[in-house]
Amino acid sequence: MNKARDLARDSITEPRWVRVTLTLVALTFLVLFLVLPLASVFTEALRQGVLAYARSVVEPDALAAIRLTLTVAAIAVPVNVLFGLTASWCIAKFEFRFKALLITLIDLPFSVSPVISGLVYVLLFGAQGLFGKFLMAHGIQIIFHVSALVLATIFVTFPFVARELIPLMQEQGTDEEEAATVLGASGLQTFFRVTLPNVKWGLLYGVLLCNARAMGEFGAVSVVSGHIRGMTNTMPLHVEILYNEYNFVGAFAVASLLALLALVTLVMKSLVEWRFGDELATGGRRH
Amino acid sequence: MSIEISGIKKRFGSFQALKGIDLKADRNEFLALLGPSGSGKTTLLRIIAGLEFPDEGSIRFQGEDVATRTARDRKVGFVFQHYALFRHMSVFENVAFGLRVKPRHTRPPEAEIRDRVMRLLGLVQLDWLAERYPGQLSGGQRQRVALARALAIEPEVLLLDEPFGALDAKVRKELRRWLRTLHEEMGLTSIFVTHDQEEALELADRVVVMNLGEIEQVGTPQKIYEEPSSPYVFDFIGNTNRFECRVVAGQVEIDDWRGPAPEHAGVSAAKALAYVRPHDLFLRRQGEGPGIAARVRHVFAAGPTLRIECEGTGGRLIEADVPRHAWTALGLQPGDLVAMEPRMIKVFVEGEGVPGF
Repeated sequence: MNKARDLARDSITEPRWVRVTLTLVALTFLVLFLVLPLASVFTEALRQGVLAYARSVVEPDALAAIRLTLTVAAIAVPVNVLFGLTASWCIAKFEFRFKALLITLIDLPFSVSPVISGLVYVLLFGAQGLFGKFLMAHGIQIIFHVSALVLATIFVTFPFVARELIPLMQEQGTDEEEAATVLGASGLQTFFRVTLPNVKWGLLYGVLLCNARAMGEFGAVSVVSGHIRGMTNTMPLHVEILYNEYNFVGAFAVASLLALLALVTLVMKSLVEWRFGDELATGGRRH
Repeated sequence: MSIEISGIKKRFGSFQALKGIDLKADRNEFLALLGPSGSGKTTLLRIIAGLEFPDEGSIRFQGEDVATRTARDRKVGFVFQHYALFRHMSVFENVAFGLRVKPRHTRPPEAEIRDRVMRLLGLVQLDWLAERYPGQLSGGQRQRVALARALAIEPEVLLLDEPFGALDAKVRKELRRWLRTLHEEMGLTSIFVTHDQEEALELADRVVVMNLGEIEQVGTPQKIYEEPSSPYVFDFIGNTNRFECRVVAGQVEIDDWRGPAPEHAGVSAAKALAYVRPHDLFLRRQGEGPGIAARVRHVFAAGPTLRIECEGTGGRLIEADVPRHAWTALGLQPGDLVAMEPRMIKVFVEGEGVPGF
């Protein structure tokens, strides 16, 4: 029996040495490009001891950067959850014109370089921008201000929740919603009692990815921030400034926080996948 | 509650799903919508439920126009083809759903909800599964949960979309009988959609045969089986032999055989289609009497009647059902020549506006 299975496997697999070589190559790449850099972030950060590390993290500018990053994420993620839910609900549950266009638009931030995304906001809201005069006249500042950071982050993280939910909702179809309607449920009751519970793990998954990107975003944010220390510097920007000033311990200390965030996200993401894999969209593991 | 439908038309893009449907279901009637896929039967059912809105026409429940009412306000029980149970809710919560979403002032208190749900689950014999989730149930059990859920809002109209489609034959038969009893006990007006003629004929008071968005025939199962009104219904209901033939001077001609066709007495000469049920063909040895000439090909000998497969002129396949004792008396073998005499024949003449040509 076992022998037969082994034979069957042999017929579709490669010789042992090929398998071993391929595995080794893959592992080498992983270690070189992922594990080593990650480890070096932490060793660099701790090079001058735990005390220096702690000092760089609680230094006022670093704290301001952490606070700002958290603020930006705290605004951008809920906004995109709201948008992602509505968009995927519309796309999956209703038929309308220009649906394909909407789906393409949602993907736009993935295909545009983040720097361009940032530049767009400068062109729109900057002093020389389209709405610049109007905003100036009314004393509203967007560029080089927290609002620009939030806008740019929302733009860049736009697709994460929607892209996760659309295939999931499409796969689930509209049967349960129709059943709820026939049983007398209102639109809101249907959404909160049927649609939302059915996608909750997919939503969490999307939120995790969205949050990781929101906190780690560099390009778009860099263009619109103005790099004002303690004011408009998010963590990634702060890392860059410190690094350019040859403050390696400081730079790597803040960077290690970001890396830690990435690791936590990864663990939670794997947990969701492992525990609720069948409740995620089939194409859910793209990013 | 009676349901009256008149002049219902529905179009999906360029596809005309319903081309003007008139139908009436009486109070406490059990109606079957029977047709192949694409015949519009499910669309019609969804329109009655309010899940779809017609482009034209009216729907009345007990004389009252409900065309503008949404599914939410029509209060019909609907059983979906794939049950559409709420996957994240227990069986109990599934059945309770219709009661829980009621507006506060009409919502029954928790104790009463519990009571009613358990009573319904008892009715479908699933009270012992109340805490399970839909994913843990078998097909037949899911089906019954779906029924209990639909009945929880105490509808007077029960609509079922292919209710037994996904079940295996044995469960299907049991559920059918059970559904019929339920329908009678609860005094429901029920309409169900099916593509299975046997199911429709066995279960329904009246059968509505649909084809390409139109109603071909409405009638009791017996009437539909015995007097199909069109070639289409003949083809669709029961087993049948179909002959392309001629009608000459009130007589039907199939090969060398001639038979009376009194309903076409006025036709001097025309192409026609004739239908004969396998059990209406009488077999004898060739030369011993009139009949359509054929040669015995196969004998399927399982069951009380034998199915004899014969080959007529030009390779045409003709099937006859012969009682076991009659076949033994004939003493025929495959390869023997026979004359097959139609005892009952239905003839449709070309050009009489009969579809199917």
